[in-house]
This record gives sequence, C-alpha cells and structure tokens, in this order.
Amino acid sequence: MQKTQEAADVSLIAACEQAAQEGNRVLDVFPAEDAVRVAVWEKVAGAITEVDVGAGPHPRPSRHGFPSLRFAEEQDFLPGTFEAAAADLEVIGHGMHVMPLGPVRADVAEALRYELDALGDEIHGLTLRRGYKHRGVADRMRGLDAAQALEVAERVTGTSTVAHALAFSLAVEDALGVAADQELSVMRSALAELERLHSHLGDLAALAASTGTVVAAADLYRLREAVLRLGARWTGHRYLRGAIAPGGWRRGLADIRGELPAVLENVEAQFIAVRRALDHTNSFLDRLHGAGRIPAGPLDLVGVVGRSAGVREDVRWDRPYAAYPELCHRRHMPGYAAGDAFGRYYVRCEEVLQSIAMLRRAGGTGCEFTSMPVLSEDGIGHGLVESPRGRLFYRVELRSGQVLSCRIRTASSINWVAVPLAVPNHNILQDFPIIDASFNLSVASLDL
Amino acid sequence: MFYPRWIVNLAKGPAVLRRKVASRGKAASPTARLFARSLAIRHLDAGSCNGCESELSLLGSPVYDLSRFGFSFTPSPRHADLLLITGVVTDAMVPLIRATYEAMPDPKLVVAAGACAIDGCVFRGAPGVVGNLQDIVPVDRWIPGCPPSPDALLDGLLALVGRAADPAGEAS
Repeated sequence: MQKTQEAADVSLIAACEQAAQEGNRVLDVFPAEDAVRVAVWEKVAGAITEVDVGAGPHPRPSRHGFPSLRFAEEQDFLPGTFEAAAADLEVIGHGMHVMPLGPVRADVAEALRYELDALGDEIHGLTLRRGYKHRGVADRMRGLDAAQALEVAERVTGTSTVAHALAFSLAVEDALGVAADQELSVMRSALAELERLHSHLGDLAALAASTGTVVAAADLYRLREAVLRLGARWTGHRYLRGAIAPGGWRRGLADIRGELPAVLENVEAQFIAVRRALDHTNSFLDRLHGAGRIPAGPLDLVGVVGRSAGVREDVRWDRPYAAYPELCHRRHMPGYAAGDAFGRYYVRCEEVLQSIAMLRRAGGTGCEFTSMPVLSEDGIGHGLVESPRGRLFYRVELRSGQVLSCRIRTASSINWVAVPLAVPNHNILQDFPIIDASFNLSVASLDL
Repeated sequence: MFYPRWIVNLAKGPAVLRRKVASRGKAASPTARLFARSLAIRHLDAGSCNGCESELSLLGSPVYDLSRFGFSFTPSPRHADLLLITGVVTDAMVPLIRATYEAMPDPKLVVAAGACAIDGCVFRGAPGVVGNLQDIVPVDRWIPGCPPSPDALLDGLLALVGRAADPAGEAS
C-alpha cells in the first residue's frame, strides 16, 4: 500500500513538473485531486528540483538549508513584492497540509502571514510571508530635517519608541561630534529602562494568556498599565514619545522622584508574587519547557531571544551608551542556554527585576525643555542601543542638516529568522501560539 | 415566576437596561444602535507601529475590561460586527481590507483607530502608503491618538453605539 502510494506521488510530482513547465494548473490535469494537496505539490514542483518523497508512514521533511527570510535592507525590498519573500523551506510527504494563518489573524495581532506545514498535529515547516506592513520608513526619512526624522523614527515600533528615538539621537550626535552630558544620559537610560519594563511585562502577559493562565495575564497587564501611566505622568505620553531629542529634550519632563519609589516597589512586589505563582504552575511550565527550541546553528541572534539561547550579548554591557557604564554589572546579565520558550520567559522575568533596579538607581528627575539645536552640518553617525527586543542599530547620514539616508537594523529583523526554525522543531499546532507569544517579535520593525 | 413588572418588561425589555442604554447618548446611526449591548470586534492591522495593538491588547485587561460592556474581540470576520482598522493603509493591505470587510455579515461597522489610520500620520506620502481609508471601506467613526489610549478607544466605541455621550456629535 505504502509503495503504491509512493509511486503515485512520484508520478504526481512528475505530472506537476510537466504541468508547471507547460504553464498548466495541476488541477486541470488531475481534476479529482484534493486542492490543498495539489497546492503543496505545485509548490514542490515549482520550487525545487530534487524530489524527496521520504520513507515510512511519517515521512520526514526535506530541509534545504536555513530559511532565507528577506531583510528590509534599503533597495532589497519593494512594496507589493511580498509574495516572493518566502522562506526556502520546502516540506513534502504524504498527508502534509499547509495551514495558513494571517495576515488578519488572532484577536489583536500584527499583519504577518504564517504558513504552517503540518502532518496532523505535528508542525514540520513554517514559511513566513511578510511585507504587508511595509511603510517605507527609510524612504520617508530621506530629505527630512533631524526633528522631523525623529518623529518618524519614534513610530517605527510603538513599544520601542525610546530605543528608536535614542538610537537616532545618538547617531545624529555622533555625526555632529557632540556628546550628551551626564544628567541627560542618566535620564535617557531611565526612560529606556521604563520602556523595557512595560514591554517585557506586556510580552509576559501575552505569554501567560497564550497558555491559558488568565489570572497571571490579568495581573501582568495591570502592572503594565501602572508602568504606562507612570510614564505618562513623567513624560506626558504613555509610550514616552516626544521626549528624547539629539542634544536635549523635546519637552520638559515632570519630576516624579516623589512617587517613583512607591510605584516601583508596588510593581516589583506584585511581579514577584505573579512570577512565583507561575513558577509553581505545572500547566504553565509544561507548555514552555522544550517548546519552540531554537536549533543550534550559525544564527546571529540578539536580545532576549539570543540571551535565552546561550548568546551572551547585550549592548548595554558590551558597548555601554548613555549612563549604562554606571548602571550595569556584568555578573548580573541574565542568560539561559536551552533556547526554548521557558528560557525566553526566564530571561524576560530577570530583566524586569533588573530594569526596576536600574530605574531605582537612575531616579526620575524632572527637566526643562531644551530647544533642539538647528543643525546645518554634514556627517555620518552611528547609534547602537539595546531596545527591549535586542540590538538596534541606526546609521544616519546628514547633508546640511537633512537626512540623506538612514539605515535601520532592528532586533526583530534579525530574530525573526529563528522563528521558522524553532516552530517546526518537534512541536505540534497547539504549541504554536505559545511559541509565537514567547518570541513576541515585532512585525512593524521587520517590514519597516 | 410572576412579578409586577413582568408584562412591561416582556413588552419593552427590562426597565433597568432600557434606562441605562437610552440615557447615555445617541448612537452614530440606527445600525450602530443595534450593537449597543453586544459587539464583536475584528481588529485589522493595516501597517501600524504596534503601538495601537499594544493599547488594544490592554482593553481586555481588568483595568479596562472590554467584556463588561458586552464587547469582545473575535478571530473571525464571519462573526464580527465591527472592523477596527489601525495603521497607515499600505498598498499590500488594501485588497485584504476589502476582503475582510466583505467577509463580515451585514449589518456592519468600521472604525479607524489611531492617527495613522486617519491620515497616515508621519508616513503620509511615503511610497506604498495609501493613507486614506475612506475610499476603501465606509468608516463610521475615527478615533484619534498616537496611539489612542485604551480609554479613548473604549469611549469611541461606546459613543459609536450610543452608550456614551458624544460631544463631537456626528462621527468624523
């Protein structure tokens, strides 16, 4: 029976290849064949030359190297060509089907299309189709002056507003050869840590929600709201927009030194309680351990995803900027080796506590509005910061005060490549939402 | 069980609920009024910075608790009463917005949330950004903000269905 089926599949592949060459649809040749199945075969026939049907009742997928997710480099990406930007991961075999998800998906989610190659419940491959959200950030910035370009930079990723504003400001300061004074640096670090705090709390809440631990999710969302409101009282914006600028501040900041310790203490105590409860909930831990493990390979991972997979790298330690030389101690860098969903949970939890500690040391002083210097010089500058999701790099080229070109390399654009590898790694469809939430990468900073 | 208001309630609906719903404000349209007590929301990201999504996800938190109004997010457009669009409208998303809207059963509402969905915000004029939702689907209400805070989103939704006073009066 097995043999006959295999032979039939081989002949089907041959027919598909012939049909593809002649420009026919396979369904015209085999009108009775299952449409989804034919779609898989067509994909196979059109995309690869080497045919691997697999052996045994559960054929293993054939993998052709790492998926090449295309990155948003400047000229590499044209809007509308997203269909071509797929991963080179082809999966074939009996009973394999594609489960499409997105770009309109889940309850509240960013636009990205997942195509899960599944055999029953087992996931054997994942293709990401991106580009739905391409907003032409780099194109938009060209020709703007620094103040206007900063507005665009702040809106690249909402939950990393400070990181983008800071990286852009550091790049502009680097281009002009000016350095921020100590007081400014301390407050920049404080804002960055406040942002990391709310971003990590949100990611952990999403992870808790994905495993069905709704009480923990509710608690974490509540803590996140408290942090967002603290930021709103400090800077006037929940996501801390419109504060950081090259060489100064775009608006005066309120003095929150009076309430900061109490809020932080409250958040810390409640967070520790929630974490202790989660660490003693087997139904939560069982879903995380071993789920979405990133296979060892030549991957350049950054941020929480990297640190949870044994890559001990953090810009705040390795290339300290702002006030991090005083705020960081290497012995405290959290890390985990397994690279699974639990590792990402663990590293995020540790970093929440660390951010609270750093915020305590940095304080929440107020400051006066300082008008931005009118820039009319040339220069090329680089800004490298640790955004909540990892390393963020800006290269800004200024020509008489205007942005000639701006290259952005976000952490998510680096880390997304690990997702199509981690999801099919001995996981089932029910694990997918948990793995997705454990990464919680930004699509906005992938598509740019 | 018989009780004195039984006949009245049977004819007009429970008095308490009648009073509550009627006294708050005027719905944007007769269609919007239909969803005053039960609204299934389908969110669609048309190119946001994820700030709007971040605020939308907080609507389910106990601080705002969307469900106490009878509102909920739904994964399927087939179950949705309201399409909530965030983000600059990119070229790639235009056919998907249309398809999602068409997949929703009548009657249906559309809300554009956030500065980007209203006019493209800082991305207006960038290549690949349409920035004008009105030509694609009919919008019943615009909720400004960058991003709109959860209470702004709630207020906008409640005003749309006539459960909150709407100082702006008519939509848009």
